[in-house]
Amino acid sequence: MARYAMVIDLEACVGCGACAAACVLENEVPPGHNRLWIRQRELGSFPDLTVEYRPEQCLHCENPPCVPACPTGASYKTEDGLVLVKYERCIACGACIAACPYDARFMNPAGYVDKCTFCEHRIKNGQDPACVETCPTGCRVFGDLDDPESPVRIFLEEAERIDVLRPEMGTSPKLLYVNTPSKRGLAAEEVEL
Amino acid sequence: MTSYYGIPGAAPFWHWTTLVHFLLVALAGGFSFYTAILGLKDESAGRRLAWWALLFIVLDLLMLWAESPARFRFSHVWLFLSFRPAAAIWWGAWGLSISALMLLLVGLQIGRARTWFGILAVTSTIVLLYPGYAVAANAARPLWDHLLLAVFPATALLLSLALLIAWRGEEALGWLQTLSWVSLVLVLLYPVALASGGAEQARALALLLRRGLWFAVGAALILLAALLVKKQPALAAACAFAGAVLVRSWIVEEGQHSFFAHGF
Repeated sequence: MARYAMVIDLEACVGCGACAAACVLENEVPPGHNRLWIRQRELGSFPDLTVEYRPEQCLHCENPPCVPACPTGASYKTEDGLVLVKYERCIACGACIAACPYDARFMNPAGYVDKCTFCEHRIKNGQDPACVETCPTGCRVFGDLDDPESPVRIFLEEAERIDVLRPEMGTSPKLLYVNTPSKRGLAAEEVEL
Repeated sequence: MTSYYGIPGAAPFWHWTTLVHFLLVALAGGFSFYTAILGLKDESAGRRLAWWALLFIVLDLLMLWAESPARFRFSHVWLFLSFRPAAAIWWGAWGLSISALMLLLVGLQIGRARTWFGILAVTSTIVLLYPGYAVAANAARPLWDHLLLAVFPATALLLSLALLIAWRGEEALGWLQTLSWVSLVLVLLYPVALASGGAEQARALALLLRRGLWFAVGAALILLAALLVKKQPALAAACAFAGAVLVRSWIVEEGQHSFFAHGF
């Protein structure tokens, strides 16, 4: 039983969008929707400027608020910590979309709620998610948090600071960010892994 | 400045059909509740109202089915094959279904009506409560404050009673006035509840103050209803109905707003 997580090094991300394109192709995401996207934010003021490119997607939370909100059990958490949707059970009520604090879910025109799966079908075959494999700068690292040999674990142990989105929501996300430009120079906060 | 490559799922996920559902489910829950209460006092009076309550439930279920993107996949059967007590919609599905069954038994005069009215009192209460639970449970949507657990059942009872005025006439006027005041107090407490919250609730309050015209109109109509009940009952009923619908619709529509800006 694994505990899959993804780390994104924001210093290495150049916002090329290759991960988003790979995700669309790998998962046949319908036009007009995205399972992952990149938020681009300008920071600072001239001449001390930088741009933060931050890829976002489902955070596969340890405490996902979308799962208890689902009235049919379509949204569920696997033993490996992935938060998935059983499409055949989904009634497209939107309760999980309302519950998600990260805007990570959308209504697939086929009539069910859709989101990032960490490419579960690839993980099963021992491959990395498509976004990780595609990233030209290697800013994404994927693996098992409970495995000391896992690249994600090694990467996190070397990180100075780890950030998660909306920590106040108490969801314990498993999409973690390191070297966040907007956090540079700030004291590191404790993130429980 | 923030821009995106790709699209976050921040678009509204509920549309005008959902607003109609929130009206119909209020009428379904309210009429079922009044049917149960009337029926426990006087079986024949309850029986007369039962068909109307059943009509609203059927209309609501039809609306839900018609607006669902999953309508031809028939996945709704899983609502009844799962045990999901943390999910408001699961309670709503069972509440509406059992209420419909009880109303049918009452209407067709099968079995002990008093027992069916008793069960209906419980299941209709669930129907009244679950829409408020469905929105208030979302910590990520600050406009959907916990106070809505009270606002939604109160306004549902109010708008149902406003329609019932045409039916029961004078008898229900006192209750219309009481429910109008109760609803008004809760509606006025809503911005207070937002103001007493954290940073996100403060942003939600700012949105209410900036874009809350129809919410304010709804509150004003409920106030008018409370003031006009004795002089102009028909107008008061119309004001109560419109006011309750406006307040509920505004909260549902605007509450979907995503407040996810930077995340950290």
